[in-house]
Parts: sequence; structure tokens; C-alpha cells
Amino acid sequence: MTVTDRVFLILSWAIGLICVVFLLLPIVITVAASFTSSSVYTLPPPEWSLRWYIAATQRSGLWDAVVLSLNLALVSTAVSLVLGTLAAFAITQGSFRGREAIATFTVSPLMMPGLVVGVALLQFFREIGLRDAYWSLLLGHVVITLPFVMRTLLASMASFDFSLVDAARTLGLNYPKAILRVLIPNLAPAYLTGGLFAFLASMDNYPISIFLSDARNKTLPIKILQYLEEQPDPSLAAISSGLILLACIVLIVASRTVGLNRMIQG
Amino acid sequence: MRARGDRIGFLAVPGLAFLAVIYALPLVLLLFRAAQIDGQVSFAEYRLFFTDQYNLNVLWRTLRVAFLTTLLALIIAYPTAIAMARARGIWLSLFLVAMVLPMSVGVVVKAFAWSILFRTRGVLNDILMSLGITEMPIRMLFTETALIIGAANVFLPFMVLPIYAVMRTMDGRLPEAAVTLGAGPYFRFFHVTLPLSLPGVVAGCAFVFSLAISMYVIPSLIVGEQQQTLSMMIARSFLYLRNEALGATISSVLLIIAVAVVLGSSLLAARLGGQR
Amino acid sequence: MLQPAHSETGSDRYLEVVGVGKAFRGTKVMSDLDFRVGQGELVSLLGPSGCGKTTLLRIVAGLTSADRGDVLLDGRAITNVPAHRRNISVVFQNYALFPHLSVAENVAFGLRARGQAKDTTGPSVREALNLVRMADFADRRVSALSGGQQQRVAVARALIVEPVLLLLDEPFSALDRKLRETMQVELKALLRDRDMTAIFVTHDQDEAMGVSDRIAVMNAGRIEQFAAPSTLYAQPETAFVMDFVGLSTRLAGKVTDVAEGELRIETAYGTLRGTGTVPVGARVTLGVRPELIQPQEGENTLEVTLADAMVLGSKTQLHGVAQDNDRLLCEVPGIRTGLARGTRLRFGWSVADTLVYEAEG
Repeated sequence: MTVTDRVFLILSWAIGLICVVFLLLPIVITVAASFTSSSVYTLPPPEWSLRWYIAATQRSGLWDAVVLSLNLALVSTAVSLVLGTLAAFAITQGSFRGREAIATFTVSPLMMPGLVVGVALLQFFREIGLRDAYWSLLLGHVVITLPFVMRTLLASMASFDFSLVDAARTLGLNYPKAILRVLIPNLAPAYLTGGLFAFLASMDNYPISIFLSDARNKTLPIKILQYLEEQPDPSLAAISSGLILLACIVLIVASRTVGLNRMIQG
Repeated sequence: MRARGDRIGFLAVPGLAFLAVIYALPLVLLLFRAAQIDGQVSFAEYRLFFTDQYNLNVLWRTLRVAFLTTLLALIIAYPTAIAMARARGIWLSLFLVAMVLPMSVGVVVKAFAWSILFRTRGVLNDILMSLGITEMPIRMLFTETALIIGAANVFLPFMVLPIYAVMRTMDGRLPEAAVTLGAGPYFRFFHVTLPLSLPGVVAGCAFVFSLAISMYVIPSLIVGEQQQTLSMMIARSFLYLRNEALGATISSVLLIIAVAVVLGSSLLAARLGGQR
Repeated sequence: MLQPAHSETGSDRYLEVVGVGKAFRGTKVMSDLDFRVGQGELVSLLGPSGCGKTTLLRIVAGLTSADRGDVLLDGRAITNVPAHRRNISVVFQNYALFPHLSVAENVAFGLRARGQAKDTTGPSVREALNLVRMADFADRRVSALSGGQQQRVAVARALIVEPVLLLLDEPFSALDRKLRETMQVELKALLRDRDMTAIFVTHDQDEAMGVSDRIAVMNAGRIEQFAAPSTLYAQPETAFVMDFVGLSTRLAGKVTDVAEGELRIETAYGTLRGTGTVPVGARVTLGVRPELIQPQEGENTLEVTLADAMVLGSKTQLHGVAQDNDRLLCEVPGIRTGLARGTRLRFGWSVADTLVYEAEG
């Protein structure tokens, strides 16, 4: 290894570690700020306190927003997993034309501007007479979650060894049963990660939701931004810390079952 | 297996039909609506949009911010991906946590955190002042630099991961083979490592750029209304001004840019893929 | 296609593939193929990649449906019986062990698929694992096994259901040479003990000759010859079989005269003689097995220059070059030294050992 190589490598590691700090910074700041006793954001806080956690629980409409967001995230992820399984299976195993283009289409919502999709859905739902905010939000959130599921399922089905299904068939299972008993368990990690990121994306979405919500149906991100405008005190840091805690729990469970390295594939 | 292969195709119908009706159709309708007035084909709305200097400034700012965000993310991400591909054990776990945790936390929380950080009496100024770099707190919130830093932070994992994926699967013998053929470090990097990692770079840049041109939550928390972006104009024209015609026009401009990025990057990716 | 009689293996009608044709996306991979295997017979499908041998195997297993023709087992048509009801086991290339299941669960899979309760499979699984000497590995994950161990588990998984027929797709290709030979001997003994009818698919002629009673040499979707290994080697029916099975020295020529069953063939190296029923004027391919050539004058003789003498242990291979760059091989037993490159030599062999095939096209 030459000196240049060495310098190059040390530089990579240095930037890599700066990157790690940079990425974790906002999370650490939020959590630290939430435990302040002061009513403005100063760090380190003059005194540690839980008062903003108590204040957060007393914010009006917070629980309704949490429940609605969880409801939307769970239902839309479940719907996406079903639709996504069928579509990814058809695309990777079918023999029809244009499979590549169709695969790109199904993951394309990831790269489309959320606000524009929101606007388009708003106008479309108005035109077809869909007035119910919950159903509008749910349909919109399936558009958000489906591409996450498609991305991981397409990747993992493409690398799946389908001779395992053949093996199950020669050992006495019919085709649908062989798929169920062999393909699905082997793709469990993909389901977990795809479903997880879909769930979190739905929980976090603002740009689409803002156009589809009404006064009574406000998702958590909408509520947080609204609080931020009305009364931006550290209780928002407490709510954010709550969301960070949720992400941590979900991640610990996921990394225990599938491993972090597998989670970032696809 | 032909018959079965053809029949399997029908399983894609529910998902594709859903996306066609609840995603593609509304977008197409949006494009049509912006290009007509009272049922007549007309590009008047577009002409109006593109002749207003203010709008052009916003468009230019949106593209500039997106480009600089992508560039900053790439500069940090590329060396990070190299280090990450060599990391083992606890170090690799650290990197992975640093990627996956922020990805899971969500934009709203992170944008909010950056707005705390960038406050005039915020953490960053405290640090800068205690280090003696500045004497007076600098105004950082509401500047374009703050926006780019915040956005790069939020989108960084989406740049690192595709590059890391390519780096990790790269055959370690290829650079070694280059060494045995007499290639020095620079030649090796520019003729072996960089070309091989290019698909990851293209994927990462395309994704970050398309997220950055359409971001809304981050600019509205970090720079506010003073410095508009296309997304903020869309939101404002629908939610506050109630000017749907303007909103639809800006939406379709943004949509066309996004589609161009998607198509351009996938063409580029296909060409890069075809080379190998 | 000739089929030599097979008294040892009884009826030749246990598995019958009759008039099978198959096309993928309009490209014909086989048409009107017939193939018959007797009960208890160990048979190989041997051929280069793309010759249709795996397609034939998959048609027999029911994993691919034929466009035309029938598959019969013990006189019963199973053409329309789905794969999971055929009770034909397959050992897949790379084994296709289920990565989400343990060794024991993999082996039990077929029994569970047939509806047997989980807690009753224990004894059969133990017996099957004992058979392949893998009983100590029952609780391991399959990813923790070596290639040879995976193969044994795959065999146990295939045999536990007592299949009516066992198909093996390149079962030894993932193993290194030494292990491959051991496993071939082991597996052959195991199948013989159980009187199993088995079809191996392989592209390796040594493997095919080692494990099977008869070999079907396949080329471009056809069976060129189906015979015992010794017949295949000594009397290849086509130039393809001669080339594919064993080494041979090959020359191109043209028949100039036929007299009393003997052909006179004009080649670039002079006139040679052979036997056969080829009309005068036909273009032919000539072949000789290298061990039948002597480095001395014979009924047919060629003048060559020695290009190389390779000592291979039990034999020495002489590479002779005549007018063009084609190498003519001659194998002599034992170790021969002192043969210098460039030496002029004569390669001679008898008329009876000359294989003659009418050239195609």
C-alpha cells in the first residue's frame, strides 16, 4: 500500500466518522432539547426536567392525530404488502413484455414530488366525488407505501432461487402451496424491511396528507407543523423524541430478526 | 412454462390498476388541466408563469438548492461509502445505525431539529462562539446555506446506501488486478474504482436530486416564507392564496422536471449497466 | 435409434417418454423424442449445455409441460399428473435445500407435504439421515453445511418419500474432483441397494460412465445414441458421440472407391481405408481412438511429426502433426521418454478400428 493509498483511506475514514456524527446530530439535539426545564431551546439545558413531556400529552388533538397516523400507516402498509406481493411476483416470474418498465413505474412514486401527487389526488378525488377525508388519506397513503414494498420485494424476488419452489413441488406440494410454504418464509426479511420503511414513510408523510386531510382528520406530521406555527415550545421536542423512541424500538426489533445489513438492501 | 408465465402476469393487475387510477391518472389530468383554459388547449398559464421574473427566480433557486444539496451529499457520501465498505464488526454496525436510524426518524422531526440548531441563540452559535470563531451570533436560520446543510443531512443516507451497495459487491480482486498491472493509486481510482461505482453514484444523485427539488417540510421550517421554492409556492397557492390555476401550473412544471430526472437517470443507469 | 437388448434390467418399459416435443418462445428444443428406461436401471442423460437434457428431466418430473407427446410410468400415462402427485423425487443442481429450514426439517419436508404430522416424522428422518451418514447434523442450518454434506441431505430428502423414480440434475457439479468420485461410488451403491430407478443429467462423460448402466447422449434436442458405456465408447453411432465420449483423432475425407465392404477414403494425408456403408463420393469424418493407434506402420498409416509427448502416468500421449495444424493423438501404455519433439513418426492402426461417418450437410 502506497502513502497515497494510506492518506486516501484515512481521509475516507475521517469523513465517514464526521458523516456519522452529522447524521446523528439532529436526533441527539432533539432528545437533549426535550429534557430542558427552560421554555426556550438552549443547550445544554439549564436544568433537566420532564415538564415538556407532560405538556406534550396535554396538547389538544395530539392523541387523535397519533391514532389516525397509526391507523393509516398500518392499513396502507398491509394493503401494499398484499398488492406488492402479487405484482412483484408477476413482474419477476411472468413472461409478458415491458416488465422492466412496469417495475420502474411501480417504484416511481418514491421520486415524484409529494406535493404534486397531493394536489393531483385532491383534484381527482374532488372530481370523482370522494369527499371522505379518511378514505382519501388511505388511498393516498397506499400510493406512498406501495413503492417501498415493491422496491424490496422486487429485489429479493429477483435474487430468490425458484428451484426451491420446484423442489417443494416434487416433494408433494402443489404450486400455490409451494409458494406459500417456501417463497414467503424465505422472503420474510424483505417483508419486514419493506413493510417497516413503508410504515415509517406513511407515519412521516406531510406533503400528500396536507391536501387530503380536513379539520377533523389531521395526521401527526400535520399536527406537529401546526403546533410549530401556533406555539413552538419544547413540548415539540418531546413529541419528536417520542417518535425517535418509536423508530428505535422498531429498529431494534428489526435488526434482531433480520440484521441491519439486510435492511438496507434493495 | 410459457402458459404459466403468461397467466402469472395477471397477478400484477390489482396493484398496477391501483397505481394507474390513483396515481398516474390524477397526474396526467393535472398536466392536462394546466394546459387548458375553459376546455381550450392553451399554454397561457405557462407563458404567464415563465414571464414573471419572481417565478423564474424561485425556479432557479429550487434547482440551485437541489443541485448544491446533491453535491454536498455526494462529497460526504462517497468517502463514507468507501470507509463503510471496509468497515467490519462494531464499526460497520455504527455506520449502519447512523444510516438507518435517521432514515426511520422522518423528515418532520429532523427538519425541526435543524431549526433548533440554526436558531440565532442556538447550539451551533454557542459552539462557534465558545471556539472563538465568531464573537457575535451569526444569523443562520432563514439562509440558503442552512437549507442546503439541513437538506443534505436529511437525504444523506439515500446517497450513501446505493454507493455503499455497489462498493461492497465490487470484486475486491479488481483493484488488486490493477495493481499487478502497474496502476498507481490515482489511475486505479479513476480507471477502476470510480467507473465501477458510477451506477451507485447515478442512482444516489438522481434520488437525492428528485427529493431535493420537491422538498417542502425542510425549507418551510429552515428558511420560511422569505425564500420560496417551487414546492412552497404550490402549497401557498393552494392552501393560502386559493389560486388553483397557478398551483396546478407550478405543479406541472415541477412534475415535468421530476419525470425528466427519473427518465434521464434510468437511461444513464441502463447505459452504465450495458457497458458491463 | 438402436436400442440394445437389456436382459439384466428386465423390462425396458418402466419409464417411457413417447414422441415428446417442446418449444420455448417458438424455438424448438426437442421434437418427437423417445426415451425408455427399465426398472432399477441407472441411466444418464449426457450432452453439452443446451442440448435439452435438463428440459427432458423437467418434463419427466412434471415441472415443465411438454407441448406434445406422453410420459408413461409403469404403463400408466402421467402426462397430465401435476409434479406434486407424481412421487418422482429430484436432486437439484445446487441441491435447492430450503434455507429457512434445518437439515431435519428439509428431510421431513416431503412427508409433511403428504400430510404426515410433525411429531411422527422423527424415525423416518433419522433413518434417512443415517442412510447418508448425516444423522449428527439433523439440527444444523443448511447454510452451515459443506457442498458434499448438502448433497447428502438433498439425497436423503429425495429418498425419504420412497419415490418411484429419482432424477438428479448435475448432482456432482458443485463438488471438487476428489469428493465427486467418492460421492459417485457412495450414491451408486445406495441406489443399487434400494433398487432405485434413477436418471442422472450430466455434461461430464466420466461421471456418466461411472454411475450408469446406460447413457443417452443428447445433442440439439435429440438422443444420438442410447447404450451401455462400453458400447458407446467402442461403437459410437455418430461422429458427435465419438467426439463427445472419450478422446479421438479425427480426419476429414471423401470416399473414392468401395470394394467388398471396404472404403477407400481420400484425405489430406493420403488414402486411408475403413468399413461402412457410405456411397462413393460422400464426404466423411474419420475417427480413431488414440489407444488403438500404434507408433508404427499398420493397415492405415500416417506420417507425422511429433509435437509433444505428454507423460500422464499410466500412459503417454503422443501428439503428432501432419500437413496442417490438426493434432493426431496416439496413446501408448506406460511411460515413454526419449522422444524428442520434431521426430518423424508413423501412426498406424487397423481398418476395423477406423470409425467412418458420413459428414453432415
